Amino acid sequence: MSIFKLQYMAASRNFLPRKNRKMIPDIVSMVIGAGLIITVCSTSRANENMTNPNFSDIPQMQEQSDKAGISHVYDGPWEFFVGGGASAMDCNGDRRPDLAMAGGTNPLQLFVNKSSTGGVLSFEARKLEIDAEDLLNVLGIYALDIDNDDHTDLVLLRLGRNIILKGGPDCAFTRANELFAIEGGNAWTTSFAATFEKQVKFPTLAFGNYVDRDAPGSPWGTCHDNVLLRPGKAEAPDYSSPTSLTPGYCTLSMLFTDWNKSGTPSLRVSNDRQYYRGGEEQLWHINKHQPPRLYSREDGWQHLTIWGMGIAEADIDGDGFPEYALTSMGDTKLQSLDPQANGLPVYTDIAWERGATAHRPYTGTDLNPSTGWHSQFEDFNNDGILDLFIAKGNVEKMPDFANFDPDNMMLGQPTGKFVEVGEQSGIALATKGRGAVITDFNMDGMLDLVVVNRSGPASVFRNVGARNEENTDKSKSMGNWLQIELQQDGPNRDAVGALISIKSGNNDRSRRINIGGGHASGSLGFVHVGLGVAERAMIRIKWPDGSWSSTYRVFANQFVVIKRDDVVPRYWFPQ
Amino acid sequence: MFNSKSHFFKEFEMKSRPASKTNARQSGRKFAVFVINASLIVAAALPYSHAGGISDKPWSEKAITDHVQQSRLTGILTTQELNLLAAKGKKLFDAKFTVLDGAGRPLATHAIIPTKRKRPIQKAFNRISGPDANSCASCHNQPVTGGAGDFNLNVFSSEGFTGQGSDSTDPQFSNERNTNHIFGAGLIELLAREMTAELQELRRKVLIDTRNSGQSQTVRLITKGVDFGNLTASADGLVDLSEIQGIDTDLVIRPFSQKGVITSLRQFTINALNQHHGMQAMERFGQRWTAEADFDGDGLPNEVTAGDISALVAWQATLAPPVVFKPEKQNWQQASAKGMKLFGKLECTNCHLPSLPLDSLKFADPGPLDAAGTLRQSDSSTQAIYDLAKTEWAASLPRNADGQVVVPLFGDLKRHVMSDGEVNKLGNELLSQRFVARNEFITAELWGIASTMPYGHRGDMTTLDEVITAHGGEARLSRDRYVTLSEQDRLDIIAYLKTMVIKQ
Repeated sequence: MSIFKLQYMAASRNFLPRKNRKMIPDIVSMVIGAGLIITVCSTSRANENMTNPNFSDIPQMQEQSDKAGISHVYDGPWEFFVGGGASAMDCNGDRRPDLAMAGGTNPLQLFVNKSSTGGVLSFEARKLEIDAEDLLNVLGIYALDIDNDDHTDLVLLRLGRNIILKGGPDCAFTRANELFAIEGGNAWTTSFAATFEKQVKFPTLAFGNYVDRDAPGSPWGTCHDNVLLRPGKAEAPDYSSPTSLTPGYCTLSMLFTDWNKSGTPSLRVSNDRQYYRGGEEQLWHINKHQPPRLYSREDGWQHLTIWGMGIAEADIDGDGFPEYALTSMGDTKLQSLDPQANGLPVYTDIAWERGATAHRPYTGTDLNPSTGWHSQFEDFNNDGILDLFIAKGNVEKMPDFANFDPDNMMLGQPTGKFVEVGEQSGIALATKGRGAVITDFNMDGMLDLVVVNRSGPASVFRNVGARNEENTDKSKSMGNWLQIELQQDGPNRDAVGALISIKSGNNDRSRRINIGGGHASGSLGFVHVGLGVAERAMIRIKWPDGSWSSTYRVFANQFVVIKRDDVVPRYWFPQ
Repeated sequence: MFNSKSHFFKEFEMKSRPASKTNARQSGRKFAVFVINASLIVAAALPYSHAGGISDKPWSEKAITDHVQQSRLTGILTTQELNLLAAKGKKLFDAKFTVLDGAGRPLATHAIIPTKRKRPIQKAFNRISGPDANSCASCHNQPVTGGAGDFNLNVFSSEGFTGQGSDSTDPQFSNERNTNHIFGAGLIELLAREMTAELQELRRKVLIDTRNSGQSQTVRLITKGVDFGNLTASADGLVDLSEIQGIDTDLVIRPFSQKGVITSLRQFTINALNQHHGMQAMERFGQRWTAEADFDGDGLPNEVTAGDISALVAWQATLAPPVVFKPEKQNWQQASAKGMKLFGKLECTNCHLPSLPLDSLKFADPGPLDAAGTLRQSDSSTQAIYDLAKTEWAASLPRNADGQVVVPLFGDLKRHVMSDGEVNKLGNELLSQRFVARNEFITAELWGIASTMPYGHRGDMTTLDEVITAHGGEARLSRDRYVTLSEQDRLDIIAYLKTMVIKQ
């Protein structure tokens, strides 16, 4: 039985009412699924979710890598079939997102953002004064301020020793492994996440590793353990005492997430079943002063095996508990905490009912299943509803999977469903997407997109606004928006782990500042929120220590900077 | 109900009626000939489309018989085009909307952000959360259509205005407001646009200066002589908003509503149509933002087109400003002249500025300042300009030495605190609205005040003397000076204010 069919069997369970799903054993479900395979593959129901909405604003994403001055290819042998990350962060203090891109066997590149406000995207390559060897074999990049010096540092995930680049003025980076006592290992590192544990000065870092190539029988069943680095108690970061996260199941994405609103994030780990044996998706207790501990069956954790590639988190139903989009081969999982879970991490896959399975290419003639990588919830059209982006692309030349496998842009709808507009938006290219960055590079309020492609030029999409049916040469403005930056003194300057609650009218939206997730790509900077037709909003912050701010009243279409304990928020204006 | 051609004919005849009866008949005939010709010429190109197959019957119970097509409104409208559009707007303003037009919103609240009700409404009308009126003119009618309203026509700006709490019918959860007149509203919006542009330019320049110098700088936000406080910019592009006064933090002057929280006639019209009539504008409640053509669940999709809103805006924007008339009686003239001086001496004119200068009479619709949910210039491939210089009344407005139009509004388009611990009648609201404190209101423009009693935000004061005496807060000093005047001096001020009328 093909992988493709297996995927659809899983998806088919969702035809059933939720309460009945649990009553039906998986094998029965599989049989039912098998019977429905043809239906799923051929009926309009599958296409219903891929229909162009004739009402939502469809963002027009113009590929401008040449104009933008970005020439970058992620490439390499099979170790680089995975990875291909990028990171947007402000490395020179001008609040505009700069861009770092992993190159695999090509060097990592740093691009300083020179885009004019509202104009074409423009970048300037910046040579890093780093040992050239350190910039090679990089699979992924995550940004965070490790040492609380207000300069963003970069964590480079590598085939071999991981590298920490300490940020300095004007995008000057220096290697800081020794300074932070991070040995860096010698594994094939493919994922990363960070959190600030309560009352700890420096972040806790988690590194996810892939196949242990030196193990007997490699690559099958030889996944490397993952690693947790907690800072010592010194005044400077000291990560000299790593803790092994055993077992490792070939992790391609990990994320610290406060899944149960306990105030203490757990570590969610998405693993690639292609290589593990007896593995599954994982969730780790990460409690202060305690060793990491896996959630077990007794804790309610359910067995799930997917080709886990990327984790995206967002509270899309507004119940206060995050949903997770897990990319895989075939259908994407969209997990929602079961309302009857009674405090246990029991999840229901709502991808099918929400139209978010993204299980095969939405255009072209290739009907093989998709391969999903980076996933991220953002609001591309500023309608106030989160959309879901998934980078797609064949691993290399896997014949049972789509070769033409365009990236997904699924627009969230008022109904709660997602509708695919990748083709109409202009991102349906014949590339092999991996990691991605979604941010507003030209500070016009609309989210732009950079996709790192394997063995091909990176795609740089400028969001120019909505399709204008009256005049296709001219795009339209979309909904209202806010972009929010948090600051606090002392440790954790960027308020990693903070929850931003944005209320306008009857609509409550939330965003969490996370370091981790996606596929090998993690950014830091303004948090973007679409507001639809609201021209005002009230913002409250749940700071990482759990305390709530007072309410900040702001007007739409502004960059808002909130420093902890500010009475009045400040606005920032791009030059 | 109207047939479009006869409607326009009658409308123009009415609007063009001159003072002299003989001249009126001659003029009327000439004008009728003109209108017939214009109708024949323009009718084919009129930006209207029929709203339904049965609407043109004389006995139709639909109030909207045809819709205006926004795409046909482009460039500077000719006088005839503007008059025809405004006439259409007048008809919509007068129209008593019926369920056949889409009146009512059984499944939607009056919230400005499209919001579903928790449950279907039980009654079609509700004085608190609305719908509470059949037509715009049913409240805006004193002394004529477009005017103010009596106390019994008060409306409610309730807690649920932006949310779903509006299911409440309890008046304690609302602010009660008297109906404002809208004469001269086009000039008010143009002033607000120019002042906003100037303030935002000040902000832009100080940001450039601070970035160039590397030093924080503070700029005084003064436009057209009105002081909106300080704004401090730092070299990294951050702006400290803690010292701005009487304006929103985005430095957009929102001149409409008693609170000063509505940006434009267009935005106000969309809000009001939904709140008071359950008539939902497509540009806010249509498929683009709600994914539904019939968001309010009354069975009628696409109730109000962008073009219909434009017509309503055009009519309101072209309404003549009120005037200060010269009384026939000499003793009134004398009292008024004295009152005018006293009005200045008491520093009432610190806020009730007798006039503000306006650079341009060209009213762009859609305008430059609206946000998503109200048609924006970037939403449409066409933009219409209503040149208010083409109106009959434009020539009567004086111009200053710089050639600017002098708009005699007696206001400053700024919000002020209007109550204090001792004088607090104008702080009589229970709820803040749209980030503005409960006792803070935009300066009421006094033009037309003699035609728009009762007074006060709630319309619960019957005389000008009462409302002047009720001024507290930032107006306390002027108020105290007023109450210590002799009775004669006070009457002189009243005599002056009584010359500010809406021309009938």
